[in-house]
Amino acid sequence: MEDRFAMVGIRSAPAAKPERRRRRSLPLPSVLLLAVIVLGCLCCELFIPKDPAYMDLFHYTQAPDSEFWFGTDTMGRDVFSMIWYGGRVSLCIGFLATLISTTIAVVFGSISGLAPRWLDDLLMRFTEIVLSIPSLLLVVLIQAILGKANVLSISLVIGVTGWTSIAKVVRTEVRRIRNSEHVIAARCMGAGFFRILWKHLAPNFFSSIMFMVVMNVRSAIVAESTLSFMGIGLPLEVISWGSMLSLSEKALSSGAWWIILTPGAFLVVTMLCITNIGNALRRNVSRKESNL
Amino acid sequence: MMRKNPWLYYGQKLLIFVLSVLLLSVIAFYIARLAPGDPLVSYYGDRVEKMKPAERAWAEEKLGLNEPIHVQYLRWLQGALRGDFGISYKYKTDVLEVIGGRAVNTLILGGVAFVLIFSLALGLGILCAWFEDRWPDRILCKVGTVISCIPEFWLSLVLILVFAVNLRWLPSSGAYSVGNGGDVGDRILHLILPLTVAVLNHLWYYAYMIRNKLLEEIRAEYVLLAKSKGLNKRQVMFRHCLRNIIPSYLSIMAISVPHILGGTYIVETVFSYPGIGTLSYESARYQDYNLLMVLCILSGAIVILFNLAAQIINERIDPRMKENALVETSEVTEVGR
Repeated sequence: MEDRFAMVGIRSAPAAKPERRRRRSLPLPSVLLLAVIVLGCLCCELFIPKDPAYMDLFHYTQAPDSEFWFGTDTMGRDVFSMIWYGGRVSLCIGFLATLISTTIAVVFGSISGLAPRWLDDLLMRFTEIVLSIPSLLLVVLIQAILGKANVLSISLVIGVTGWTSIAKVVRTEVRRIRNSEHVIAARCMGAGFFRILWKHLAPNFFSSIMFMVVMNVRSAIVAESTLSFMGIGLPLEVISWGSMLSLSEKALSSGAWWIILTPGAFLVVTMLCITNIGNALRRNVSRKESNL
Repeated sequence: MMRKNPWLYYGQKLLIFVLSVLLLSVIAFYIARLAPGDPLVSYYGDRVEKMKPAERAWAEEKLGLNEPIHVQYLRWLQGALRGDFGISYKYKTDVLEVIGGRAVNTLILGGVAFVLIFSLALGLGILCAWFEDRWPDRILCKVGTVISCIPEFWLSLVLILVFAVNLRWLPSSGAYSVGNGGDVGDRILHLILPLTVAVLNHLWYYAYMIRNKLLEEIRAEYVLLAKSKGLNKRQVMFRHCLRNIIPSYLSIMAISVPHILGGTYIVETVFSYPGIGTLSYESARYQDYNLLMVLCILSGAIVILFNLAAQIINERIDPRMKENALVETSEVTEVGR
């Protein structure tokens, strides 16, 4: 008898497939490469051979050689020195803009998440409208109002236009946890909005927005370079990867590929490292959730 | 979700649309009027400096600039409802006329890019999901990650450098050669490079999304049932999994419109392709705020319309997706451009 029932019984679970992607931590090559770029930009004074702002009128648009490793641009500045020096500005804008947009997003998202239904609807509708204007146009408009661009104003413009997606995630997360006991308890004890936000809400949604924050750095750097390239961002005198590329129209007509390729290559490598780190963060988060 | 009376349902959506566009127009109007730069200068050029106060006042009155902003807005709105959006300060003609001439070009570029992106993404996504974790999948994912990291304008520059400057195969700018506007072949030739950039930049994101969604479906329990019925992999994949992800794909297509639109703006500017993107860029540079404002409202209205379409798809066709879609919106709208 037992044999017969053995066929109907619970099927033994198939042996769990060994998980292929076991990367628990961050991707090491990307982190190292990014660290090299960031450190190189921060300590560029130690090793760059020339003054990045010095215009050498005898050697303009010169192809890479032993003196100018990456060539010189159409104004006779040494591209190798400019890359490291300008990277500072680009990275700085990336972080500043992200700081601004994340702050706005967290505060806005939490307010929307904690607010009563009608206010929440209103705020979300507002986000949608902000989202609906192509960000480029918005940036152009705000930039026009702020006047001549500098590092701070560009970061502000990019930050102010780039917070909506994080805010939506924060709101969803806050709505999920706002009725849990520890938040209610804190409220009963009379904790203020920012205390609840910082002590009780933020630790809970931090991991789920971490990935988006990292990606925000990426898009901020891209936005800066795009704006500067189009001539509505940083002016030529402020060296950044974007403003270096704004010379590319002249470079195209003279076939000076190094002026276009070098800053772009640095830009792409940085983006790639940041993306890899961001994706690793996202994988970690989704794994944690599935373990619950 | 409760099934409401469809008239009520669509009426509500229409009301939301109208209100959003109105609010958007208020914001855009105020920004445009408060922005620095004298509209008189952009209309009359340098002549403004030589004007006497009386002439100046007359000019301001003619353009309706002497009244408080809310009066100006109401007057503008009255005109707008009758189809009169004011004049472009730079081109000195009706705004709609200026836009109309350019809109066709953008529609061609954006439309073809849109179709290409979503058909290619579907194909690539299925391919990746089919060969999950084997070499085609891995290679495609790696390539996609790298390409999606390249900023649009730089990709355009590199393509111009290679194909237009060095090889001289393709033209580097414009929509057609001078005096050759009617030639379809010439236009296609001018479209190739901008189109490549626009497609390459967005393709991977959606392909990856299709892949992940398919894989999620394949792990679902009904697939186990289908397999135990004896269906093979192809049948499971196309008859069951693919069908299940199509509704959310449709809504993502609708949500993605602003991205692809924003992307074409940048591409247009780099290639000096005479479309809406270059127009808005120019109008910002020449402080032609009337034009810029209308462009803002126009693109905003399109985006809001498609967002609502996505909502309707979610709520009507596949109510299951409602909650998921909320999360996805936030993911798709990650500041890309």
